Amino acid sequence: MPSWKEKHGKIQTTKLLVVGAGGIGCELLKNLAATGFQNVHVIDLDTIDISNLNRQFLFRKEHVSSSKAEIATKVVKQFCPSINLGFDHASIFEEEFNVEFFKKFDMVLNALDNKKARNHVNRMCHAANKPLIESGSSGYFGQVQVIMRGKTECYECQEKPASQKTFPGCTIRNTPSEHIHCTVWAKHVFNQLFGEVDIDDDVSPDMEAEDTENPNETGNSQDDEAAKEPAPIGTRKWAESVNFDAAKVFDKLFFQDIQYLVKMDHLWKQRKPPTPLSFAVATTTGESLSFADAQNKDTSIWSIATCANVFAGCVRELLKEIKLNPDVTLSFDKDHPIIMAFVAACANVRAHLFSIHTKTMFEIKAMAGNIIPAIASTNAIVAGMIVTEAVKMIDGNADVKSSFIRNQPNPRGKKLSLNRLFQIFLEGAPYPPNPKCYVCSETREVFIYVNPAEMTVGALRDKVLMQELNMLQPDVMDTNTANVVLSSDGDTDSLLPKKLSEISIEDGAILTCDDFMQDMVLKLFIRRANHLRGDNFEIARSDKEKDEEEARKKEQEKHRLEEAENKEKLETDHKSEEEERRKRKVDEKESSEEPDVKRTKVEEKTGGEENENKILAME
Amino acid sequence: MSGIAAGRLAEERKHWRKDHPFGFIAKPVKNTDGTLNLFNWECAIPGRKDTIWEGGLYRIRMLFKDDFPSTPPKCKFEPPLFHPNVYPSGTVCLSLLDENKDWKPSISIKQLLIGIQDLLNNPNIEDPAQAEAYQIYCQNRAEYEKRVKKEALKYAAEVVQKQMLE
Repeated sequence: MPSWKEKHGKIQTTKLLVVGAGGIGCELLKNLAATGFQNVHVIDLDTIDISNLNRQFLFRKEHVSSSKAEIATKVVKQFCPSINLGFDHASIFEEEFNVEFFKKFDMVLNALDNKKARNHVNRMCHAANKPLIESGSSGYFGQVQVIMRGKTECYECQEKPASQKTFPGCTIRNTPSEHIHCTVWAKHVFNQLFGEVDIDDDVSPDMEAEDTENPNETGNSQDDEAAKEPAPIGTRKWAESVNFDAAKVFDKLFFQDIQYLVKMDHLWKQRKPPTPLSFAVATTTGESLSFADAQNKDTSIWSIATCANVFAGCVRELLKEIKLNPDVTLSFDKDHPIIMAFVAACANVRAHLFSIHTKTMFEIKAMAGNIIPAIASTNAIVAGMIVTEAVKMIDGNADVKSSFIRNQPNPRGKKLSLNRLFQIFLEGAPYPPNPKCYVCSETREVFIYVNPAEMTVGALRDKVLMQELNMLQPDVMDTNTANVVLSSDGDTDSLLPKKLSEISIEDGAILTCDDFMQDMVLKLFIRRANHLRGDNFEIARSDKEKDEEEARKKEQEKHRLEEAENKEKLETDHKSEEEERRKRKVDEKESSEEPDVKRTKVEEKTGGEENENKILAME
Repeated sequence: MSGIAAGRLAEERKHWRKDHPFGFIAKPVKNTDGTLNLFNWECAIPGRKDTIWEGGLYRIRMLFKDDFPSTPPKCKFEPPLFHPNVYPSGTVCLSLLDENKDWKPSISIKQLLIGIQDLLNNPNIEDPAQAEAYQIYCQNRAEYEKRVKKEALKYAAEVVQKQMLE
């Protein structure tokens, strides 16, 4: 064990890079200074917003709109004047923060708030071979991950789920089961009636689902006619035709459309069908607050009557706003009180019809605006864990841990040992690297299914390499021709509008993609998928065809080896022992290759067996 | 195509783009379909300051073979240059560019270009490649210097730079 003095000396000399001076960053910088770190550099591109002040405690009101990195540095120096704390008010993607820059530090600590930057820093640290401590918080959840090249998995070893959840259209239009589905639907209703019409955001029942299973049903009632107005433009036009009469619009959305939905019986075999509700009935369901009162009570649950009232009031107000500025297209804005009230009322009425618990406007606002609450205590715990792991690593302690904070002891009701049952704080040894990771493994392969006759080089760059694979400045070489097909210095910009097939990138092509900034090289295998149109593509981290083929080959090889072995056995049986011994001696002396061959054969054989076991396990 | 050669050339290009000596140019040529050919580079070497070559920018093509970097690239001044160690075809005669002499696979494009720049003002009289420049160099140094300065004017840096951007 190193002495405390020794440890402290190491802490003083270690050079740290902190990326981000926000929620976690502020806590982290304070902790680092308090722990005795003397050489720290912090980067943040943001400026201080008034909404930051409740938790980013280094900032005060007078700092609003100044640089976060600069103020954080200034304030930390006030209480720790001896610290050598530098800052950059800049984006971590800037060219000055190249691999050489990262190499100047001993360790990098992430205090970021987005995946793109996390991916980038992960790659830069991999290229510079520097340990990284990655962190994040989301409400009551928090996480700290230790990343060491070659020893632990990197930030991108596991695919991360898309940050923003999307829902299937039929869930939104036909069968909501959670309040969020109703909130999304309500946002769509707003867009259909008052905002920009998006074909994908249709709010009326999805007829296709009905057509496929119930082709013979005919809409013979008037209600059906009204409901069967599928064109999205129709909703707005129809509303205009009734002069945005609130009661009529309400009846269309919550009575006729719902009535129509109820008739699609196949939907309700496993579910409780919704109940249609007319405006007249709605206004008498429960005590009603006035429109103005309701808006002020955003943390209490509105009765359905209140919702109907708010609905009518909002339709009136929004109509006024549209007429006042006919050239301006309204768009959903969680901070626009009337729009937010409209969405909340719509969402709650729909939730009520589908027997889903209604929520307060405040809660709906958080859902509709995709607001993730930031909690100061979570950030403080996370920052504390970062420093704990950093000190362990500096100390050469191999017992580094990745840690998680949960919002309740046992969220999924799993059977856990008593010890773990009551823990909200979990830690575990970091996972080993994923051998198929396209960032940190030796192979670094990605398989992409495209239509080479339709995808352009520009789309390959923007959508595949930059958006999907998070590259910054990709250079691409076709390994078949050794031609550079994409250069990040703009030398090949004339190729951007060309289709892949026009520059001989076809099925089976292998592209070497090298990021100029991140020093990351990966192989992109092109597979043709004719059903894909335009720039659409599908991506896979491993090649299914290849995997299958390898399994087949190994199987064949195994058979071949077995046969050969059997043959050999038969032959040796015939030979005298003496002869065999002599032969072995000669082999050992003269041929250096022979033992190797034998060894590989054995390896291949065991590989084959493993593979077979895997296949069996899968079955 | 050789994967080793292509990989190394891609790496060379990257290094060059990250850092290269002032005034030098080196970039792969464009194929007819607009892609870049890593095996054929168009380069330019500026005459060193305070020498008779100063002010000129001399265009030189580097042609790589599939077995690069086992073999050196062929370096050829275009148009051919008035210099004792440059063949009438423009090809440079330099031990660094001879796989049987000083060529090593670890030599970078940057080192080659600097080596050739160095050769400009330090011709190797043991190994002449063209009669004209060699004879004038040996017999009449004043005339030689006049001819070189004329070349420097003819290939004035600003003009050549513009040509290469086209």
